[in-house]
Amino acid sequence: MLKVEHLTKVYPGGTVALKDLSFEVSDGEFLVIIGLSGSGKSTLLRCINRLIDPTEGKVILDGIDVTASKGAELRHIRRKIGMIFQHFNLVKRSSVLTNVLNGRLGYLNPWTSTLGFFPADEKKRAMDALKRLSIDDKVDSRADALSGGQQQRVGIARTLMQEPTLILADEPVASLDPVLAHSIMQYLEQLNKEDKVTVICSLHYLDLIQRYATRVIGLKDGVKVFEGSPAEINREKFKEIYGEEAQDVRATALE
Amino acid sequence: MTDKKIFPKSLSVLLSIILPGLGQVFQRKYRSGISFFIAFATAFAVTLWYGKPIWFIIPAVIWIWNIWDIVSFPKGKGLVIPLLLWLLMAYGIGGQVTEFNLQALFSNFSRSRDMVSQLFKFDFVQPKAERIEGYTDIQSPCSDFPPAADHEENGVRVYVVQTCANVGDVITVIGEGFWPNQLTTFYWQNPIGGKAMATEATSDANGKVTLEWKVLSIVHTTAPDPTIPQIHRIKVSQSRPIGGMELSAVGGYIVQGIYETLALALLSTIIGAIFAIPFGFLAARNLMTANPVSTVIYMIVRTVLNIVRSIEALIMAIIFVIIVGLGPFPGMIALTVHTVAALGKLYSEVIEGIDPGPIEAIKATGANWLQVARYAVIPQIVPAFTSLTIYRWDINVRSSTIIGFVGGGGIGFFLWQWIVLQDFRAVGSAFVAIAVVVVILDFFSAKIRERLV
Repeated sequence: MLKVEHLTKVYPGGTVALKDLSFEVSDGEFLVIIGLSGSGKSTLLRCINRLIDPTEGKVILDGIDVTASKGAELRHIRRKIGMIFQHFNLVKRSSVLTNVLNGRLGYLNPWTSTLGFFPADEKKRAMDALKRLSIDDKVDSRADALSGGQQQRVGIARTLMQEPTLILADEPVASLDPVLAHSIMQYLEQLNKEDKVTVICSLHYLDLIQRYATRVIGLKDGVKVFEGSPAEINREKFKEIYGEEAQDVRATALE
Repeated sequence: MTDKKIFPKSLSVLLSIILPGLGQVFQRKYRSGISFFIAFATAFAVTLWYGKPIWFIIPAVIWIWNIWDIVSFPKGKGLVIPLLLWLLMAYGIGGQVTEFNLQALFSNFSRSRDMVSQLFKFDFVQPKAERIEGYTDIQSPCSDFPPAADHEENGVRVYVVQTCANVGDVITVIGEGFWPNQLTTFYWQNPIGGKAMATEATSDANGKVTLEWKVLSIVHTTAPDPTIPQIHRIKVSQSRPIGGMELSAVGGYIVQGIYETLALALLSTIIGAIFAIPFGFLAARNLMTANPVSTVIYMIVRTVLNIVRSIEALIMAIIFVIIVGLGPFPGMIALTVHTVAALGKLYSEVIEGIDPGPIEAIKATGANWLQVARYAVIPQIVPAFTSLTIYRWDINVRSSTIIGFVGGGGIGFFLWQWIVLQDFRAVGSAFVAIAVVVVILDFFSAKIRERLV
């Protein structure tokens, strides 16, 4: 159960990214956030795991106030929240295995892991995660030798290592072609359905929204302008959220 | 058009005679006017400073042209000629100031030919040889009771029949126990160890060599009082090749110098790189501009690095030679300081260029600060740091050669001495050795860096 209460984020330059945003996410939901670039989607996701500190408001995860926590407590909250990024954010020069093991750092002894030692059972866990995403044949490749879809699967495997209860996916398929987009979304759906992981995902494509979301929130200039089921999203709503000029977005999104 | 009626052409001409360009300005041709004024003023000032009256022709022509411009170039197109004249003057005076004289490249060719040809007679190795040596001490000038000039060692006896030597005497030097029928070198060493005279003779079939040697006044040039008897030494030696080659004396110095240079460069690169790492982080904009205190530190570190970097390592070497004395050490300090500044700047640029994505991702897994640094930052910067450091070693080898010139040790120090002593064979050999080492190093550092990137 995630509660977001009156969340506001003002960047040092004076840009208001989020304005008094409140919503709740029940366990097991697949919540999709839509909105133009710059509407505050990324900021919202990063406020939930405190990669960005909100200016005002609270984020409460399973009864714990994330916004008030710091230090070790914050790191313990973070390790239960997986995150998937548009540009995968893998360490390009490291191997696929190291990248996946990195997902486990929050659980490991900071000293031995800093020296580069990972216990054998963690390596096995990493192999299992890679197998689950059917990319275990690339385990020794360098991350930047992989294609976009493969890199995103490694990103998901890294998240799996955290044994998350919540996954934040920041436009996970925006850099991928439509076929790959569906395959990545299916992995997320699998986690959501089989592992009962709550997913909060930002997306742009209407077909993906209607196929995967259980609930949708629309953001415009940091303000919540829509909240409802994916069935309620139609041309009119889309135009409202994405603005009158967003003809291209609408065209691709509705096809 | 109405403006030109207010300032008729004749008045403009008059104004331009008084001050070049003024007439043009009153004709509203500001750019042309200012250009004429600047061309005239700079040409005049340069000629005045240079002091050769002949060049006053140029400002004079510009001045006349400026009047001509008003009279018959109403659209101000006549500026090209004064500009060309100005350039002509700049080149002309420039050429005279630098004593530009292409002829000198050829006229002194015959004089330089001997030196240049020496440069190509490399002196690395010499045929291996065995030597047989003997000596005797001899008094010069003679006292009343001179000691006997006779010395025997290892079966080699050298003696002088006349016992002692006055300037102008012809003495008979006899050596026994040498190889037969062999060229033998005689060497007169004055009391302070310098070479005074040298000559050669051939030994007979029994290994005995006899030399009639006239004693010249040169043997007493280092004596405080040439009338006081002093002990000199006559050295007699033979040498013959025994097959094979060995490093010559110069070759030995070159090997030592190159080794010193490489070690000096390596040490200053490593120490410099270690010190450069913290400076690199402190001078990285993306890490340091988060709060005012660190911003101030960032600006100070950046400024200091830039200032230190702009001081040539050679200049620093001169300063450190004065502080700690001659030798490789001051050169090493100078190179280290310069390396810290140069690498610090380059490292900071690498840090500024890292991808923030992985840092974000690893932070999000609940990793602590140390783990984020280890797994998100270090993999991104280590290859670039290594590559830059190897490249810096490359640079340091080359600059430590030059630093040797001011007494900073290494091959450069030897090279400088050989240039002063006009030992051009050694100079040529050193050039070749440096070139070979730099080329080899260049090749391997490029190979390694290729793999890292």
